[in-house]
Amino acid sequence: MKNIANLLRIHVLYSMILLFMGFQTLEAQQTISGLVVDTSGVGIPGANVVVQGTSTGAVTDFDGNFSIAASSGDVLEISFIGYVTQSISITNQTSLRVVLEEDAENLDEVVVIGYGTARKSDLTGAVSKVTSQSFENQPMVRVEDALQGRAAGVTVAGSGNPGAGIKVRVRGVNSLTGNNDPLVVIDGVFGGDLRTLNPNNIASMEVLKDASALAIYGSRGSNGVILVTTKKGSGKPKVSIDQFYTISNVTKRLPTLSSAEFAKLENAEFIANPVNDPANAPYSAAQIANFEANPINYQDLIFQTGITNNTQLSVSGSTDDNLQYFLSGNFIDQEGTQITTNYKRYSFRSNLTKQFSDKFKVTANITASREITNNNPDAFGRADGSGLLRAITWDPTAPVRDENGDYILRSPREVANNNYNPIRRLEMSEHNVTGDRLNLTLNGTYNFTEDLTYTLIGAVNTFNSNTESIRIEGDPEVVGFNNIAFGNSNSTFHQVSNILNWKKSFNKHNLDVTGVYEFQGTRGTFNGYSTTDQDVYGFYHTDNGTTESFSNDGSQTAIESYLSRVQYNYDGKLFLTASLRVDESSRFPKDGRTGYFPSGAIAYNLADTNFAENLGLSTLKLRAGYGEVGNQNINALAAFSLNNSAGFWSPDGGGTIYTGDTQSTRGNSNLTWETTVQTNFGIDYAFLNGRISGSIDYFNKDTKDLLIQRLVPGSTQITEFVNAGEVNNQGIDFSISAGIIESKDLTWNSSFNLSYIQNEVTKLYGGLDFIVGNVMGIGGGGIMLDLIQVGSPIGTFYGYTALGAWQSTDVIPLDNDGAPVAIPGDEKFVLDENGERKLGAIGNGMPDVTWGLNNTFTYKNWDLNIFLNGSHGFDIYNQVTGTISGNGGNRSNLSPSVYNRWTAENETNIPRAGTGNVLNSSRWVEKGDFIRLSNLKVGYTFDEGAVKGLSSLQVYASGQNVFLITNYSGYDPEVSSTIRTNAGAASNEDSGAGIDIGAYPNPRSFTFGVKATF
Amino acid sequence: MKTNRLIEMLRESFSLRLFFCLAIVGSIFQGCADLEPDPLEFNLPPESFGNLGEMDRGIIGVYRALTRASWMTTFYAPAWGGDDITTHRALNKADFREFDQRAVLSSNNRLLQNWNAIYSAISTINGVLERSEGLVGSEAVNQTELNTFRGEAFFLRGFLFNQLARVHGRIPLPLTQFPAADIKRSELVEVYEQIESDYLKAEEMLPALYPGVEAGAPRPNSGSARALLARLYMDWAGFPIKDNTKYAMAASSAKKVMDNASSHGFGLVDDVADLWKVANRFNNESLFTIVYCTNQTGCPNNSLANRKYARLGLPADLQGWNETFAEIKFFQDFPEGHRKNATYRMELDWENFNAQKSPVFAKITGPIGDLPQASFQTERNDFVMRYASILLIYAEASGLSGNVTDDAWEALNKIRRRAAGLPHGTPDPAVDVMSGNIADLAFEERKWEFAGEYVRWFDLVRREKVEEALSVRDIKNAPIPEHNPIIGSLATSNYLSPIPADAVAKNPNLAN
Repeated sequence: MKNIANLLRIHVLYSMILLFMGFQTLEAQQTISGLVVDTSGVGIPGANVVVQGTSTGAVTDFDGNFSIAASSGDVLEISFIGYVTQSISITNQTSLRVVLEEDAENLDEVVVIGYGTARKSDLTGAVSKVTSQSFENQPMVRVEDALQGRAAGVTVAGSGNPGAGIKVRVRGVNSLTGNNDPLVVIDGVFGGDLRTLNPNNIASMEVLKDASALAIYGSRGSNGVILVTTKKGSGKPKVSIDQFYTISNVTKRLPTLSSAEFAKLENAEFIANPVNDPANAPYSAAQIANFEANPINYQDLIFQTGITNNTQLSVSGSTDDNLQYFLSGNFIDQEGTQITTNYKRYSFRSNLTKQFSDKFKVTANITASREITNNNPDAFGRADGSGLLRAITWDPTAPVRDENGDYILRSPREVANNNYNPIRRLEMSEHNVTGDRLNLTLNGTYNFTEDLTYTLIGAVNTFNSNTESIRIEGDPEVVGFNNIAFGNSNSTFHQVSNILNWKKSFNKHNLDVTGVYEFQGTRGTFNGYSTTDQDVYGFYHTDNGTTESFSNDGSQTAIESYLSRVQYNYDGKLFLTASLRVDESSRFPKDGRTGYFPSGAIAYNLADTNFAENLGLSTLKLRAGYGEVGNQNINALAAFSLNNSAGFWSPDGGGTIYTGDTQSTRGNSNLTWETTVQTNFGIDYAFLNGRISGSIDYFNKDTKDLLIQRLVPGSTQITEFVNAGEVNNQGIDFSISAGIIESKDLTWNSSFNLSYIQNEVTKLYGGLDFIVGNVMGIGGGGIMLDLIQVGSPIGTFYGYTALGAWQSTDVIPLDNDGAPVAIPGDEKFVLDENGERKLGAIGNGMPDVTWGLNNTFTYKNWDLNIFLNGSHGFDIYNQVTGTISGNGGNRSNLSPSVYNRWTAENETNIPRAGTGNVLNSSRWVEKGDFIRLSNLKVGYTFDEGAVKGLSSLQVYASGQNVFLITNYSGYDPEVSSTIRTNAGAASNEDSGAGIDIGAYPNPRSFTFGVKATF
Repeated sequence: MKTNRLIEMLRESFSLRLFFCLAIVGSIFQGCADLEPDPLEFNLPPESFGNLGEMDRGIIGVYRALTRASWMTTFYAPAWGGDDITTHRALNKADFREFDQRAVLSSNNRLLQNWNAIYSAISTINGVLERSEGLVGSEAVNQTELNTFRGEAFFLRGFLFNQLARVHGRIPLPLTQFPAADIKRSELVEVYEQIESDYLKAEEMLPALYPGVEAGAPRPNSGSARALLARLYMDWAGFPIKDNTKYAMAASSAKKVMDNASSHGFGLVDDVADLWKVANRFNNESLFTIVYCTNQTGCPNNSLANRKYARLGLPADLQGWNETFAEIKFFQDFPEGHRKNATYRMELDWENFNAQKSPVFAKITGPIGDLPQASFQTERNDFVMRYASILLIYAEASGLSGNVTDDAWEALNKIRRRAAGLPHGTPDPAVDVMSGNIADLAFEERKWEFAGEYVRWFDLVRREKVEEALSVRDIKNAPIPEHNPIIGSLATSNYLSPIPADAVAKNPNLAN
């Protein structure tokens, strides 16, 4: 029954979209197109054009073009933040050129705030806005890059893995379960995915940070909300082409023993054993000479030069009958810097807005995208660390192929990494994931009266992903040599929002009331099939395997919400906002299902007071807000005890297969929302009529009922979801931007923002001091790498505290049995009262400070962009160095530190040969602080008309990640590895922040591009 | 007023009417915001089993957990302490070297993995026992079958407690699926009593022969339980409790298994060399078998493959992983003959290996040509206890309890005859012994009979012979000395392994 209802629901939504598209124009008016420019003749994007006394309006596009329906005798009002509003009477013009003059006294910008918009000056909450102007100077394929260093309070960390997720965090991390990804709302629709968005389609992004702004998103708002507004068309038809070409490289190599060094050390160790005949030493002098001449470096072999090709085409404009259109297509082909990795994205967007009358407007946005990812390193077995780590630690004396040209499967001497040849694995495997998305959004707005507006947003998204994979992992002679898998996942999302808005001014009292009723639902299914050991070398050659397994899975969630918000301001001086959202989520048992999320905020504008003027301030606004938001990011069935099918067992060794059950999770009928209470105090300021402006915010977030999945205390196997404790985040967001030079030929704009965050687990319920996390180390099965501990931040590393090596002069303590706990040369750790190695917190991967500094210079037709960003005050758990030193899948010590190992003659702090190398050790914890030159771009824009037929033309060259200043010894301090957990564990990547098990580093890239408009 | 205007507007245009229709349709959906998950789509564990089918799935889950706990050398890592087994002197074998060199740290990963795997399996067993209580006495349920299932659960719990107790001594004894988080370690006698109680229940509930299974008790029978009781009593009578009265119980238990051997399907395999052939992975000598399988035998993903054999026992010279090697002096002392040829890969010129000059166990690598040399995943089974062990326990316990019978000598001699490649049932004065200290002779016989089977270390512990054996393990001035010298204490205080640091960190009560 329910499935039929779902089908019906989806069907009706599709029908709605089709019906709306068939609507006819109700009235025809004269269409006026125009261009809004500043005094220097540069187009002003985002300017408002309104027919005075009506609600008919338009917004200028990227280049300042607009188009609007108006009748003779109407008056057009053209306004834009920071400029003097102009009024123009319409007679019989059909095109206009409007020059706006700057007015620093009237800094008014429209900001999207969720279920509506507000003038920036009216805001009571903390909102960071990123407009397309601020990132169009940086060639990028991913929207997340546009946020990095450009919005105070937002931290972004990506990797070089093409197509992989990029971590975006707003004001730190509250949660350990689900994820801390901010909610992305694209044109009013929840659950957008930034990765599928073409950066060129974005008009602006607003990041809601404090709870008074977020509370209207209730249970979805605890991680911040990114509101994305996509572009609309206006004015004359315009065709834009944007093409760039990027060359990427990873140039750093981790220090490991060279082929010759390793061979010599192996020989030396062999000869040191008197039972061995030196004549039998593993490597001959000729071999070593050859290694010296032609060293084999698997880091060189696994990295390649990656080429990225990005092509984008858009057509936009508006028609005489009030149809605004923006159509855009984009193709990206991104070759990774690790061999065989590749990401392709095709995306298409159609944004259509039709103004049927001055009361009724419909917008239909359709996006479709296909992403194809090949050989994502995370799709391969990572129990012994990533494929990259396997390459770093592979036998440096074994080439990829032998003299006959056949692959060498394993280290011939069974030294160094014990896995199969990492190059062969990548070259022979095809792991292909194709993801298709179709998002349909329909937005209808009806103005009952000038004051009362009703908006209906309906959205249906589908995402189908198809995995076709043949992974060649091993030796065809041995069982388990390859793995062939097919997987198909389907997910659908729907949302219906009813928004009623009433705005009214009474003298100096301005009131804005919004009411929303909304529901959303998701449904996901997965079917998978796999087989092994087929002697074929292509996915499509496979047939029924000797062994097969298949799996089916599904999950469904729903959420239903009510919301009201009241905004009041008195004469543009005193601002008050209050809101309440009520959410009911299917993820929680009935009693804990309903969440109430109130907020309130106050702001006072001191701009025109003597106080502000005396300080030389042209803007001064004080803001304070309070709000509660929730987190419901847990498994759909977290409240229930679950069996997993334990797998099979065969009492006769394979003839008969029986399937068994094991309980995997324990239900918790008391589960409820994780709630974050946030207070925010902020100041917006501007000097010199707005030439220098910015804001500073202090925030304090207390998260209670922290949702985590943990091992049931006392159990080694069964997990449960619990509301486990409390986390505090407090910090400061600071931003300043300035027009340092504003002359006719030369301009210099600079913006700087900085976020400081202190994160701390303040309490764990049930009297616990700590809970061991779920992030598995290399090799698996051993001690987890993360810890949740009262008094420490989220993302704390779990391990032993290393103190170097025991020296012969040390008094080595005795254990309970009266035996010394170590011999000289052994690794030395902090011990407990029983003389046993003591486990605890040994570092933290969460940065305290992140910042970005963006500088744009223009000189005549030239422009130059320099963008620096940095992160400070965090550690990295460098499991890579630990593995290089002989652990995990690596049997030999390949670290150059072997030359300085402890010996009786030369007592050092590097443990002696043969002593156990513990990966869970502070020996592998390093400082991660870094400063990066993220973008350096030089562009040249041709004068209009310089090239015939083109209205504009720009060519540019840029470098990304041009330099990196850090003391971190690994490739890239910014990149954390994708965490590994036991199957089904819901820990999020922030519990593994700063853990490096061979992460895919960010490359250094050089880009050449051209942008043209017809 | 407003309402009237609204209705007027509604009349104004078709599109407007449609818009509102859709808004209303939208509102109707709202009844569809389905907030109750559908339990039929998910696999919820029953509060208690409703029928034997559910119980059966629970028991299969237990066997799965047991097999996954034991599929790697990790399960037997403490046995590297014996004088029969060693490992590579370098490479990533530090966990095994700690046992081999008698310097076991609480940070040893193998200890932790075993601890977690065993307690996970025990929790699963306890869950099955708890959920099946409601079926006991129910007329709707076949009580014989129910008893068999419950008997298997008790047997496996006893076995797993026993496995851990042999490593750590005092261990916590969780008897419910969700034990107290601050559970304490029980006294060792309590531990033994619990194991005894589980085995006794199992013996009572299990049939003499499990119906419809292969030879070697892949699902235990009452004889399997009694056999493990005999082994438990040997431990109990030895270090550290040293309750000598238990030797008599060990002897009588062993005798009981011997007397009922045919009804349990137990006996000696005629040729000791046949035991290690993969074709004989089910044989009547095994008193309880942990069963493995591979892709080739029909098990998906090799997830129940045995990862302890084939390349694990070979040096890199032969594509091996250098993990499980034989010790040199033990090898040299091993009496020449048929059994030695079945125990070691005698054809290999180990003294000239480059990777490490250590002898190789045929028991680990498989006889020549029997297992694919390059494979680490095989379908070989583990024989938790062999009928040969029952015979030798009987002989040894008879001696130690002062009740030596002809049957006891015969039990010992059967093993000696078979070791010499002779028919074990036919007396042969050339190999038979009829006098001397039978306890010592049987103990010595166990040394050779079970070499490389992860048994020797536990024999040395219970008879307090660690120092005696290991102090002479490194031969002075030998052409090839043992590779991993002893660095820890050989005193009894160092027999037991520490509780894993991670477990202590989670439950500080385990420190004491």
